[in-house]
Amino acid sequence: MARILVADDSETILLLMRTRLEIAGYEVETAADGQEVTERLHGGGSDQLPDLLLLDAMMPRKSGVDALRELRAAGVETPALIVSAHQDATDADAPSDLEVSGYVTKPIDFDRLLDAIAELTS
Amino acid sequence: MAVIGVGRFIQQRQDFEDAIARSYQVEIGARVRLAENANSKAARAAIAAQAKRRNDLRDQISADTRDTALLVAAGLIAGLTGALLLFSGLIASLRRPLEELVDAAGRLAAGDRRARVEVGGLSETATLGAAFNEMADELEREASQRDQLDRLKDEFVLTASHELRSPLTSVQGFAELLMLERDSLTPRQVETVEIILDNCRHLVRLLNDLLDLARSDAGRLAITPKPTEVTPLIDDAVRTMRAQTESKEQALSERIEPDLPLVNVEADRIRQILVNLLTNAHEYSPQGASIEVTARPVGADVEIAVTDNGPGIPESQLDHIFDRFTRGDAGLTQRVGGTGLGLAISKSLVELHGGTIEVDSTPGVGSIFSLRLPAAGASVGTGQSHATTETS
Repeated sequence: MARILVADDSETILLLMRTRLEIAGYEVETAADGQEVTERLHGGGSDQLPDLLLLDAMMPRKSGVDALRELRAAGVETPALIVSAHQDATDADAPSDLEVSGYVTKPIDFDRLLDAIAELTS
Repeated sequence: MAVIGVGRFIQQRQDFEDAIARSYQVEIGARVRLAENANSKAARAAIAAQAKRRNDLRDQISADTRDTALLVAAGLIAGLTGALLLFSGLIASLRRPLEELVDAAGRLAAGDRRARVEVGGLSETATLGAAFNEMADELEREASQRDQLDRLKDEFVLTASHELRSPLTSVQGFAELLMLERDSLTPRQVETVEIILDNCRHLVRLLNDLLDLARSDAGRLAITPKPTEVTPLIDDAVRTMRAQTESKEQALSERIEPDLPLVNVEADRIRQILVNLLTNAHEYSPQGASIEVTARPVGADVEIAVTDNGPGIPESQLDHIFDRFTRGDAGLTQRVGGTGLGLAISKSLVELHGGTIEVDSTPGVGSIFSLRLPAAGASVGTGQSHATTETS
């Protein structure tokens, strides 16, 4: 089953994401911010990389956008979805040169999110 | 000079009258002597002399009168010229500062808060100029305070609506989780969760609406218009509303004229407006009402109208219908779940597209909300100039 790394600074959101995604049959790992994401992925080989990244756009220490930029620079090509509080998530959250698979807005429409995840991990 | 002239004229006249009178007296004396036949030759000579004297006197006085008249005229002209010079000097010294004041007042009224005048000239205009500058200073202070408050308000709303999204995501998400297990819930529990979810959706709508308005106020509401077909927009909005109108047994129909031109719009935003208008028609109209969406070309625009046969809007409310937090009949607000922001946002959005929105309503008959959108290829409306890039 596909592995998803979810990063959000809210434990409640992480619990919600984990529960919903596990019900849908995914294996879920969580991180509290972008710093944790980059630390965890930098060291490991490609067999440790998740199949999908689900990163909150705004987090303390390191935002999802900054973490993703670092990962892309390091050659990590894992598909990534950016979760944003912006009503109309656009390039305002991430520069257009950043390779993002899509944007998810809060409050999260899980039906759409699960459709997008299924497509990206198939 | 003129006064002297007139005084002299009167004096001359007096002397002339006296001289003539004296001449007649002498002549009368001569004629008496002639009648008495005493020295008739000398008397005749005296009469003739007096007649000649009077003639001379008359010539003299008319010459004097002419001179005096000339003198009076010259005096008047000199006086007028002097007055004119004096006045034009006075006017010139008033005119420049006054013109400057008028100019500055005009610029101030047009919004140039830095409009000031140079204080100088006559003491009256100097005082006026100083007072004007003081007033302009005060206005500028107040305006900049107001601007700052407006910015703070916009920032606050933007931040608040962002910050509220995360907890809202949790509430809605966990309520949805419960609903995934609705088979193990009692009907009472299901109903409770449904109420939570309904209110979450309402909160989301409210947040989105507030955010749109704050962006609109801050000039940061951005649209990216492109040529768009009208029919799918209407189809989409009608499909979104179908379940709700059916739950109230309301007839929801479309009447779209064939061969409509493309409109220059951002599809999502127009769909949002149409859903807004349809939601209003649905919520304010009773069970079994009819709601119709029509579209037709009007000049270089396309007019889309939402017509209902609901209760209509009293005339007193029509003027404020597009103001924020204005809602129909207060008695209805308990039942109607709107945010009171929908029409205000719709108006902002339509205007951003360079279009217009209007309402026509008759109490007891129904309401028509019609929007006009510029056809693609027609001159692009104000939307383009407002379409700034979101920078938050």
